[in-house]
Amino acid sequence: MPETDTDTSINLIPGRSEAARRSADALLRVMGGQEITLRLSDPSAGDTSSQLGITPPTEEDVQIAPAVVDVMPPSVDGTMRVQVMLSAKALHAIAESYGVTDIPLWLMATRGLVYRGQMLTIRSVTSNSFAGSNYLYFLVATE
Amino acid sequence: MQATKDSFYIALRDRLVTVDPQRTITLDGATRPAIVVAENEPPGAVPPACDAFYLHWGGARAALPSSSGLMEMECAISYRTKGSDANGNLDRGRDLASLDNDVLAICSPPHIEKYDYSTGAGVDLGSTIFWTLPVFSALVNAPPYVGRDVSVTVFFYPEVNQT
Repeated sequence: MPETDTDTSINLIPGRSEAARRSADALLRVMGGQEITLRLSDPSAGDTSSQLGITPPTEEDVQIAPAVVDVMPPSVDGTMRVQVMLSAKALHAIAESYGVTDIPLWLMATRGLVYRGQMLTIRSVTSNSFAGSNYLYFLVATE
Repeated sequence: MQATKDSFYIALRDRLVTVDPQRTITLDGATRPAIVVAENEPPGAVPPACDAFYLHWGGARAALPSSSGLMEMECAISYRTKGSDANGNLDRGRDLASLDNDVLAICSPPHIEKYDYSTGAGVDLGSTIFWTLPVFSALVNAPPYVGRDVSVTVFFYPEVNQT
């Protein structure tokens, strides 16, 4: 049975998941602590022009730090791939401001990451968790 | 060609609103009739929604006899469902049949006036497009989903000055 912060009956420290988040943040800063840009689409107008692909939704860029970007070996077709380790602490704060509850789904639905001026599509989102809380997110994005 | 694609989609969308007004989806924060042109959506990795029709445009060629200028273009309409949780997903076959019925209803009658929507508002181009009866594929069973691909051939006269 997974441990959670409600497991006080066995005298575990409440809020201990925060320790993992802080440690992950510190690790990311030690490894370079970059900032990544997430490009979000505003809600669609839902009118005929947007359904026909004539009028795109407006977009906004959101910066998230700390993060570590690793360039992975290219795909079979030669497209660039990167893996991003991302602070859950920073990401949760931003997701909360947008009223997001399902962070992986939200990330997959964004326009993508801007890396060195290039738009990359997020292909997968995984996370590590401790005591019922995510402390690190891993994104794989490609051209 | 774009006017043909747009006119076909708008016709099917408006018919869907009439025959099954409850069939809607929320995409990118907007609720709309549950019919989508795949190539008009963002190229993200989000999987297709359940209980919605996705139009995929295929190849185009001169229809025979080619001297008439008439062209034909393939359109695949794909959809899938997993039934409802309330019914333990046992109703996915019935839901698929409901989607099949909607396809038959929105594809009839098989012709529509052709409009140019490039400026947002429809401008009548003074010709019509028409299409074949839908051809239903075998059931695509990919648990927990069941789905189907429907193919339709759309006939049109190309507008030379049309973008």
